[in-house]
Amino acid sequence: MRGRPELFTSYRRDQAPLNTPAKRAWLGLLLVGLLVFPFSVTAELTALGATALLSAVGAIGLNLVTGYAGQVSLGHAFFLGLGAYTAAVLSGDPDGRSLGFGLDMAIWLPAAGLLPALVGLLIAPVAIRLKGLYLAIVTLGLVFIGEHLFRELTAVTGGPGVGRPAAQLHLLGADLGRRSEILGGYPITREIKLYLIALVVLVVLAVPAKNLARSAVGRAFAAVRDRDLAAEVMGVSLTRHKLIAFTISSFYAGIAGALLPTVTGFIEPGSFNLLLSVQFLAMILIGGVATLSGSLLGAAFVILLPRLVEELPRFLPFVTGESTGGVLTTFQLQTLLYGVLIVVFLIAEPRGLFGIWVRARNYWRAWPFSY
Amino acid sequence: MAGTGKPRILVTVAVLALLLTACQGGETGGGGEEGGVKTDVGVTTEPCPGGNADRDCIYLGVLSDLTEGPFRALAVPITEGQKAFWKRVNDQGGIGGRYDVDIATYTRDNKYNPQEHVAKYREIEPNILALGQTLGTPPTLAGLPLYKEADVIAAPASWWSGWEFEDVILESGYSYCTEAMNGLDWASEEYGKPGTVMAVHYPGDYGGDSAAGVAEWAKANGVDFQAKAHAVQTTPNAQAGNQDAAVERILRADPDVVMVATGPAEMAEIVGKAAAQGFKGRFIGSVPTYNPALLESEAAPAIKALYHFVSPWGPWGSDTPAHQAMEQAAGGKAPANDGYTFGWIWSYPLKAVLERAVQNGDLTRAGVRAAVTQVTVDYEGALPDKTYNGEPNQTAVRQALIAKPDESAPLGSSVHKDFFVGPTAEKFDFTKPCVAAG
Amino acid sequence: MSRAVPEAGGGDIGRAGYRWVVLAAGCFGSGAYAGMQMGLPAIGPALRSHFGLTVAEAGLVFASLALGVGLTVFFWGLAIDRVGERPVQVGGLAGAGIALIGAAVERIALRPMVGEPVFSATMVTVGVFIVLQVVAGDLIGLELRQVGHPWGLEQTEVAGVIVFHSDLAKLAFTATVVALLWLFLRHSRLGLAMRATAASQETALALGVPAGRMFGLAWAISGALAAVAGMLVATGGAGFSQATTLVALKALPAIVLGGLDSVPGALVGGPIIGLAEAYTKTYQDDLFPWAGDNVDQVVPYVVMLVVLLVRPYGLFGTREVERV
Repeated sequence: MRGRPELFTSYRRDQAPLNTPAKRAWLGLLLVGLLVFPFSVTAELTALGATALLSAVGAIGLNLVTGYAGQVSLGHAFFLGLGAYTAAVLSGDPDGRSLGFGLDMAIWLPAAGLLPALVGLLIAPVAIRLKGLYLAIVTLGLVFIGEHLFRELTAVTGGPGVGRPAAQLHLLGADLGRRSEILGGYPITREIKLYLIALVVLVVLAVPAKNLARSAVGRAFAAVRDRDLAAEVMGVSLTRHKLIAFTISSFYAGIAGALLPTVTGFIEPGSFNLLLSVQFLAMILIGGVATLSGSLLGAAFVILLPRLVEELPRFLPFVTGESTGGVLTTFQLQTLLYGVLIVVFLIAEPRGLFGIWVRARNYWRAWPFSY
Repeated sequence: MAGTGKPRILVTVAVLALLLTACQGGETGGGGEEGGVKTDVGVTTEPCPGGNADRDCIYLGVLSDLTEGPFRALAVPITEGQKAFWKRVNDQGGIGGRYDVDIATYTRDNKYNPQEHVAKYREIEPNILALGQTLGTPPTLAGLPLYKEADVIAAPASWWSGWEFEDVILESGYSYCTEAMNGLDWASEEYGKPGTVMAVHYPGDYGGDSAAGVAEWAKANGVDFQAKAHAVQTTPNAQAGNQDAAVERILRADPDVVMVATGPAEMAEIVGKAAAQGFKGRFIGSVPTYNPALLESEAAPAIKALYHFVSPWGPWGSDTPAHQAMEQAAGGKAPANDGYTFGWIWSYPLKAVLERAVQNGDLTRAGVRAAVTQVTVDYEGALPDKTYNGEPNQTAVRQALIAKPDESAPLGSSVHKDFFVGPTAEKFDFTKPCVAAG
Repeated sequence: MSRAVPEAGGGDIGRAGYRWVVLAAGCFGSGAYAGMQMGLPAIGPALRSHFGLTVAEAGLVFASLALGVGLTVFFWGLAIDRVGERPVQVGGLAGAGIALIGAAVERIALRPMVGEPVFSATMVTVGVFIVLQVVAGDLIGLELRQVGHPWGLEQTEVAGVIVFHSDLAKLAFTATVVALLWLFLRHSRLGLAMRATAASQETALALGVPAGRMFGLAWAISGALAAVAGMLVATGGAGFSQATTLVALKALPAIVLGGLDSVPGALVGGPIIGLAEAYTKTYQDDLFPWAGDNVDQVVPYVVMLVVLLVRPYGLFGTREVERV
């Protein structure tokens, strides 16, 4: 009804994710902003934006299994790696140094999600038996086993210190990895294309994730997380839901893993290590556990932070952009900030960036009567 | 919110879009033709940061292992040496009397990691004319297709035999392959022909090239070398933890000579532990395996007793105009290690090519690339003149010298045997890279 | 050279002859790991009641391991550079220093996390780890640093096997530390107070035990033990660098294997993992070469996985009693 946005006349409208005009407007604004972004900034920032969007996909996956379902998983890097190599192998140049089949993106992108999902399905029964720390350490072990596998399968990965090219972006014949021009000479760079692909993939995958979280399965996840014994007593099948959580999370990780390396175009097998898993965990913790917006905010934050820090030598005299000299290099400062911010966020705002957003929103909602 | 939504949104979007467009960035160098010289990327008419106000600026990129990788101890002085070289060029009038060279602004750390290397390359590529340094064989190989696509020539901090076959790469000195052959030729001469040889090496084409050289030498001289038993692949300690596995293999195979192509720390560990467990054979190291800091490690006595390394040119303190100029540029203060010398010498080809390109009136990327086959590089005595034009079998450098660890020398090593070309290296038919890229 | 380099073996044996007696005692296998794990069962119960965590979840906070190892390894090197003192003396200094930092970490970063999800507490320690690693990395610099010890590369033969003196020293050192810790927990008032706080926080508080300080003490001991471990890990032919920190991660499978709240579990888990790794390193080529190089780095996790499939709470861990 006009003028009365909070009056809902059907359950369907009440339960809709975008039930008020304000929500729709802001989302529209956000999407427009995201679309305009790559055409207005340098290629480097566009590439960074693409990385942030793709990391958000991975973060959503991790949030589903760790945030919503409470199954601590340090093994996200392993599934990212599986996705990356599935994509790289399926799309790779058959005459190149490493294994490749030269297939189209329409084939390798879903496959890059399905293979890790299958592996997640196989690993899940082991994970189901374990809880808490034990599960975390086992998934940690998964990362190390994965690292070892990637190091050893040199035909696929090129081997440590050597690596191989990432997935080739050929969609139905069109090469999306190259610069091209439209409308009489306006350059569409490689980075812009990557960014747009990333945006489409994110939107296509975020919507089902949001709906999953709001559905019966999502509620079951929350039950499993909070009190699994009670959940089982009430009839929520632990095994089934943990299986679903791991499989779906692995699917998301696979897709993210397939596309993330395409930004630079090269994969070194050592990059799917514990640090990567921790980075994704940081994304969901800084962003806000068990919220979709939290995954997006956290991913953007973690990915963009190093870039912001690189600008700091101009303002802070004791930070240097060189490799030596000064009290701190930019790389050290960025790692330092990363750690400090993790600590600060978790201590001061456990709900992460999303919690800050909620607080700000609530304040302005009732303004000037916010007391 | 109700009612005033739409127009407000449109206005906001429009404003945002305008603001964002203001952030538009672009490439360095507008292109065009200035004073008869064509330029496109990486050359500006504004002077270099901190440079002479009346000169234009050429930007060179540097992708080196500055913080974490296994070669950082060498790479930092390499970069310093290059900076000193180009400063001297600028002081002497710049390229063609007109262009100062800036090699500091676009220096990035690749951590000896090919993925990081490609990422950093993409970051600096819109702003540079050429790469003053690209360190590491695997990282440079990862970037090579991109270099070729963008016509970016590069001076490699690497001695892979395949660079002879790539026109964008301006290699100096021998290759790891000939290095191994020369080293083994010398060992035969000095200690008698070995019965068995082994190669302990890093993965990828640095180690692989060296191992291939060992295999070639063994084949040419009828010495026992079976790839499975005698070529040991090992990784930097950051990945492997320690070199116990490699040491174990050496002790088991008990060869007479081991060719080592790893990083310095790993080499020290291998030599030290093998010697401690009674190994009596000799070690010959590839040039990146030595670091004078090792003379203070536990393995120092073993290294001094059993180890020599091969070098493509004379160390600091050698008597050539190039070395003297270098020492002068360093202000008489000895650098941390011979990486400084490497960086200095590696820069000669790029200077020659840039000068030639200016002479041709074409300082665009394509023009610079074309100038590569036209130059003859003068190394001021450090190496014989070099061209990049012709059959690699003819133009490849094969000479080497043998150096040994020496505490009394300023940078921890002195020449044991001056320039020579071993018989096997001389005869070797260089028609393809020793390690094919595959 | 301005740095003092400790002499390789031989010097000062007379004055320090007693040390060889100590060296002669004890043999635990995988010395450094056992040292670390002794501390963890001491802290596990403390954390359990501090945060209301389950036994299983308490251990997750042990990311401080890596923290402690990382920091102490570098201080060790710095101290050796400056004074070249006897390793044991300097190790003690480092241990004390790091113990203080451990306590500070608890006070600043962990105390506010009471009542928060345990996973957040863990990530806080990960964050602290990242921060301290950068600081320590800045101190150590980029170069490989050498750590001297008086045993150099000397070896003796023990029962037909050639053993490095430095390894024997490490084992004995660990044994001493472990024994000292056990004595502390069992036979001192402070140790008793710690155990009381772990068993029942409220009762201990009622009896006048400052529970918060006990937790700080637990973290301090953890830091000190990590310092010991770091010191032992760094003394080796290859020296140490910023990358050495990651060695601490190997302790995780060892703890989990033995069971998180179990002292015998720790003492058993460490050697099992250490031996598995060592055996794999030596015999892999003969027995299963298809697994690839460096599979010994992965074997601890595989072993842990296998054990957990059979006993989900580790070999000696107590099964968690859950109430709904």
